[in-house]
Amino acid sequence: MFEARRETVLQYALADLVDKKPADAGVILREDAFIGHLNLRGNPDDAAFRAGVEATLKAHLPVKPGYWSAAVGASVYWLGPNEWLVLVAADAAADVQHNLRQTLAGHFSVVDVSGGQTIINLSGDDAGLLLKKSSTYDFHPLSFAQGRCVQTTFAKAMALIASRKDGSYDLVIRRSFADYVVQWIAIAAAEYGFAVEP
Amino acid sequence: MSGSAVVQARRLPAGGRINRDQPIRFSFNGIAYQGFEGDTLASALLANNVNVVARSFKYARPRGIVGHGAEEPNAIVQLGHGAQTVPNLRATQIELYAGLQARSVGAGLSVNFDLMALVGACGRLMPPGFYYKTFMRPQKLWMTYERFIRKAAGLGSAAAEPDPDSYDKLNQHCDVLVVGAGPAGLAAALTAARSGARVIIADEQNQFGGSLLAARPTIGHQTVALWLTKTLAELHACSNVEMLARSTVFGYYDHNFLAILERRSDHLRISSPSVARQRLHRVRAKQVVLATGAIERPLVFANNDVPGVMLASSVSTYVNRYGVAPGTKLIVFTCNDNAYQAAIDWHQAGQHVVAIVDTRCNPSGVVVATAKELNIDVIGGHGVIEALGKKCLQGAVIAPLNADATAIVGATRQLDCDLIACSGGWSPVIHLSSHTGAKPQWSDAKVGFLPGESIQQERSAGAAKGTYSLLDCFSEGAYAGARAAQLAGFGNGTVSTTTPPIEELTEQPQQALFLLPHVKPVSRAPKQFVDLQLDVTAAAIELAAREGYESVEHAKRYTALGFGTDQGKLGNINGIAILANTLGQSIAATGTTIFRPAYTPTTFGAIAGRDVGDLFDPVRYTAMHRWHTEHGAEWENVGQWQRPRYYCQPFEVMHDAVKRECLAVRNKVGMLDASTLGKIDIQGRDAAEFLNRIYSNGFLKLAPGKCRYGVMLKEDGMIFDDGVTACLAENHYLMFTTTGGAAAVLAWLELWQQTEWPELDVFFTSVTDHWATATVTGPNARKVLALVCDDIDLDKDAFKFMDWRDGTVAGVQARVFRISFTGELSFEVNVAAHYGRYVWEQLLAAGAEFEITPYGTEAMHVLRAEKGFIIIGQDTDGSMTPADMNMNWVVAKNKSFNFIGQRGLTRAACQRCDRKQLVGLKTLQPETVLPEGAQIVNDPAQAIPMKMQGHVTSSYFSASLGRSIALAVVKGGLQRMGDVVHCPLADGRSVAAEIVGSVFYDPKGERQNV
Repeated sequence: MFEARRETVLQYALADLVDKKPADAGVILREDAFIGHLNLRGNPDDAAFRAGVEATLKAHLPVKPGYWSAAVGASVYWLGPNEWLVLVAADAAADVQHNLRQTLAGHFSVVDVSGGQTIINLSGDDAGLLLKKSSTYDFHPLSFAQGRCVQTTFAKAMALIASRKDGSYDLVIRRSFADYVVQWIAIAAAEYGFAVEP
Repeated sequence: MSGSAVVQARRLPAGGRINRDQPIRFSFNGIAYQGFEGDTLASALLANNVNVVARSFKYARPRGIVGHGAEEPNAIVQLGHGAQTVPNLRATQIELYAGLQARSVGAGLSVNFDLMALVGACGRLMPPGFYYKTFMRPQKLWMTYERFIRKAAGLGSAAAEPDPDSYDKLNQHCDVLVVGAGPAGLAAALTAARSGARVIIADEQNQFGGSLLAARPTIGHQTVALWLTKTLAELHACSNVEMLARSTVFGYYDHNFLAILERRSDHLRISSPSVARQRLHRVRAKQVVLATGAIERPLVFANNDVPGVMLASSVSTYVNRYGVAPGTKLIVFTCNDNAYQAAIDWHQAGQHVVAIVDTRCNPSGVVVATAKELNIDVIGGHGVIEALGKKCLQGAVIAPLNADATAIVGATRQLDCDLIACSGGWSPVIHLSSHTGAKPQWSDAKVGFLPGESIQQERSAGAAKGTYSLLDCFSEGAYAGARAAQLAGFGNGTVSTTTPPIEELTEQPQQALFLLPHVKPVSRAPKQFVDLQLDVTAAAIELAAREGYESVEHAKRYTALGFGTDQGKLGNINGIAILANTLGQSIAATGTTIFRPAYTPTTFGAIAGRDVGDLFDPVRYTAMHRWHTEHGAEWENVGQWQRPRYYCQPFEVMHDAVKRECLAVRNKVGMLDASTLGKIDIQGRDAAEFLNRIYSNGFLKLAPGKCRYGVMLKEDGMIFDDGVTACLAENHYLMFTTTGGAAAVLAWLELWQQTEWPELDVFFTSVTDHWATATVTGPNARKVLALVCDDIDLDKDAFKFMDWRDGTVAGVQARVFRISFTGELSFEVNVAAHYGRYVWEQLLAAGAEFEITPYGTEAMHVLRAEKGFIIIGQDTDGSMTPADMNMNWVVAKNKSFNFIGQRGLTRAACQRCDRKQLVGLKTLQPETVLPEGAQIVNDPAQAIPMKMQGHVTSSYFSASLGRSIALAVVKGGLQRMGDVVHCPLADGRSVAAEIVGSVFYDPKGERQNV
């Protein structure tokens, strides 16, 4: 009897942008909405924990600070010495959470945070310049090659920023800050030409 | 703009790095002039024979252009008008652009109008220390004095309108930052670049080259020019090099963090919302090369401020770089070889050199010989002791001096001239080095302060280090660049570049000279200016020393030496030397004042960047935000969150809306967006134990499905945050925090777990943003929920107050809590935020038949105040214990492990019975609403100072009760029920109120349990 209707985090913020498709945009924004976001915490020195996570996700658990790994079913981002973000297919969060709970023993935590975050992909020739405007981290390819990620400030909000193989960047941002972040990006990217990819 | 363009009378027929095919019209003090592309405002004014550009700070004396860069003390102008006007810019650093309009900052009517000179005559009544002596008493008049002094002082004026330009910031990282693009800086950048290091080179000028841009070396000119061209081409081609022109490195901060102001469109004077006018580069550099050059030091003699007295290097610069002769008859006045170049340049430009007056007896050497070969009259053993003229230079008085130039040893005579190019040697630009805390070192050999020992990853090179030979600058720069790159991990420190094959003239040592003697003593001689911008004279410094201000820092503040916008770039060293001489001690022993950022004045716009207007601070939205905006919400900012304060219906004002919303909750049903509450997921086998230590009340026995209210204290026993925590499963909890306290609470939990109790296995994860929360509250809340939820047994015995249940609401998986902040039957429906707006709308639709009313934070405040529920940060202020809030029930007495704040609560001060305690207040006139923050006294007739009893923390009109209610903290208030107290208000009224219990509505708490 109910037809549940969901909204993407940026639904309104992107609709509000005036000029979405200028020619020769130097910065292109795309929202990757409705991805499953799981926050995972545990002890990386615990071999059983590591093995359990990797077996369940079929992905590498990055233990080296500031790296992320991509696999078919899941991407895993290092957030801290005992904390990771696991991105899984849209709507798979509940199943993956359940499987992790079944597999893991000992001290760990898994929390579904899918509703609280979204992913902004920034591509284009000037995406790196935009990051330089917005964040104090060093995003030069020598310091931030593909496969790197960092949790840092983005303007006055927080973002997990990851470098992708195709040269673009993924920003994982919190829902409540999303309108601010998009407004910031649109203004900071204006001089390069800013486009939104549907 | 009035008048017509004047002929550029002083423009040389040829030469200079200007484009004579591109004339540019501009105006100065309302008069129209013409310059050329490539000019600065200063060079264009000189080309137009504008002698007087300002009136001085204290004495209102006519002043002309002295320098050619950041050191200029006189030509300080107000640029543009209206919203884009910029005060206090140096004309020497303003690139000319079409339509430029500038005026002197301090001139009043006209720099040529002598009324101000009459005022200036009163300047003799303003000795050093004048402010301290005159304006200290009566102290309250200072504000009046200051207004007049500031006006007289001519500090320019900021725009009154909002700045239409945009600004931004760029966060930079590099291996080697080279500051300054003169010969040393360019050599450093090139060497570092070739090693593969990431290099940034910044220079404040519009072109790279520094002193090379104005150089006319007698030998090898072509070679130097070629080297410059090739070097710049190579640097431009390097992908690892970023070249920032028009970019001033203005501050050097800890951890090799430097700030650069890049002027991107000032020289174009275009305004664009997307392209920033100025950009602040925030640079983290692994290594820094300071190649900031040196500023020529003037000599101090009587009337040395007459327009026409300039720096020798500036005369060369105007001739060589801008093709301008700032006079006709030149005297070069020097104590060193270097300034001879000005005479040579002047001569080669076809101008008349009256003489070179050299204070050294029998000057000799190659440079002197070169000048003499050009038939230039070199007068050795003499000094210019006084300049003649008022608005323009009309001559110089010279006198024979003794060997150390401290005394006049013969008759004076006059020389006819209209330009004096003077040089007391060079002062290295050690400002950035000084910013790091490196203590400047006086060098008798260099007659200047050199950069102190590095305490950060930096080194100086070239003139900044007292190296004045061009060849040495090249090689020193190259070595510094190679070394910096090596330390940053690139190359082996060897120099890979070659210096241009030039020959240099060998220079003889200079004489250390600062103040010239006069036939009269310093105190009686015509004014001998040390700091031109602030009118500080040699006599003033001597007086300061005599009055006991012997420390250089004291003398600076007493005389205002170096206090101007130029920060004493010309005057400081001379001032220190005069102070040292007066005190009979060395300059090294006297020391120097410390330079602080910014090197040159920096706009606030660039420092603010894009963090202005809507982007000043992030505004956080809930998932239902758009619904609120579409339904007339007025907003309240709570932390960074924007929450609906109330929803206005047609013809309603706030009071009506809040009343309607409150009555709806009490009598029917209302709904609140409670998504902003902080939410922390807590997991781990020691979670319960951890909570038991964090909260003042017990959490060990909280069963799955149950919730409990808790209060957190800081170590001192003061309330820090409160909220409900639910047990989701064994070893799994969900903690609610206040909206504003969420981040601080999470940090608090992590702090205790990581630093004090690492043995407790517990993890915390913020889920604030994941859940959207709709609070359905009021007598009909259950009926509303029943329409959209069929898998939770909503019966009051199956789903009790302080229980929670998982279920499905409007087809969406939900978690429903029976917790209440209104005192009414309440269900807090939590869903993943993607479904927030949908579920909100479904609940509204279901509630329509019960007239469900969305309400905002204002109604929420009233409703909770009726119930006496406190709000952390409103009713508490970080100095309130649970007992103060009459909440002793929330403090556990028998925990096996103590809780945070337990020991603090036992302190005697926390147990005093006269502490401020939370009570209710009922005004004797029910319709009078007390202002929040009102002070409470026992006797309003008591003489001031009255004895304060406390203050009102929350105050509203309660529609349900038909009267005003207030919460207040009153000393010993819990023992004063029934007392009448008084609140004297700012408007003179005093409101009487009775102290009552803090629960005004449903004191037994029955309504929330139905």
